[in-house]
Amino acid sequence: MNWLHWYLLVALLLFCIGLYGLLQRRSLIAMLISLELMLAAVSLNVVAITSLSGNSSSVGQVVALILIGVAAAEGAIALSLFVAIQREVQSINVEDLSELKG
Amino acid sequence: MNWDAFLFGSSAALALVGALFAVGLKNIFHNILGFALSLVGVAGLFLTLGSDFLAIVLLLVYVGALGIAMVYAVMLSQPLDTPRTPRSAPKVLGSALLAALVAMAVWLVIRGARFPEASGILEVGPQVTGYRLLSNYVLAFELISVLLVIAMIGAVMVARRDPAKRAPAAPPGPRAAP
Repeated sequence: MNWLHWYLLVALLLFCIGLYGLLQRRSLIAMLISLELMLAAVSLNVVAITSLSGNSSSVGQVVALILIGVAAAEGAIALSLFVAIQREVQSINVEDLSELKG
Repeated sequence: MNWDAFLFGSSAALALVGALFAVGLKNIFHNILGFALSLVGVAGLFLTLGSDFLAIVLLLVYVGALGIAMVYAVMLSQPLDTPRTPRSAPKVLGSALLAALVAMAVWLVIRGARFPEASGILEVGPQVTGYRLLSNYVLAFELISVLLVIAMIGAVMVARRDPAKRAPAAPPGPRAAP
């Protein structure tokens, strides 16, 4: 195992912890936290691969920057949606948000 | 044990322990603090990879902006003292099992993959990144700025209280009936 494998292992564990949280938590904010953990794992993966392997490491920097921007936009939209949902339904527990279930 | 290995190990431990806090603890505030801890660890990993600029941006955006926005959302939405219903064991076990299966599968793929050695000049400084952003990848740069503006306006629009809806819902106070 070289360095790249260690980085990929850490990113994989981070991703799977996020996946577990996304499946298991029921508060919308906790699910958003898990989702952001998964996104951070992905950008760690990209940066590790492009700077420890291949020959163009600036691609990884640009991709990671864009990922961070998308995550920021997603977080802003999601948090404002949570506030609006809380105002309408008085809950942000996903199991209370099942009005569309047949 | 050399310095690189120490930095990598401590950052990775910080990231993973923070992620476990962010997912496993019951209190949503502790989750947010664990998330910030985890992202500090990820920023440390970026530092060990030589990308200082990215580490600072990660700290600013995730730990600073997003963490504070999450605390705001918790303050605005969730009453912290509501009783929590216990999670059902099959769901917890099922999600843990699925996450473990995904980890095993991806790890098998990683073990079998062949990565070429780094051959080019390691160009990770902020000068090179800024130059690339404004020359080779300028379309992505412009698109991300437009996306951020749209997200900001959309967030304000979504979270805004509807004035037409609020007016009849206001309870008649003593000032309403003079």
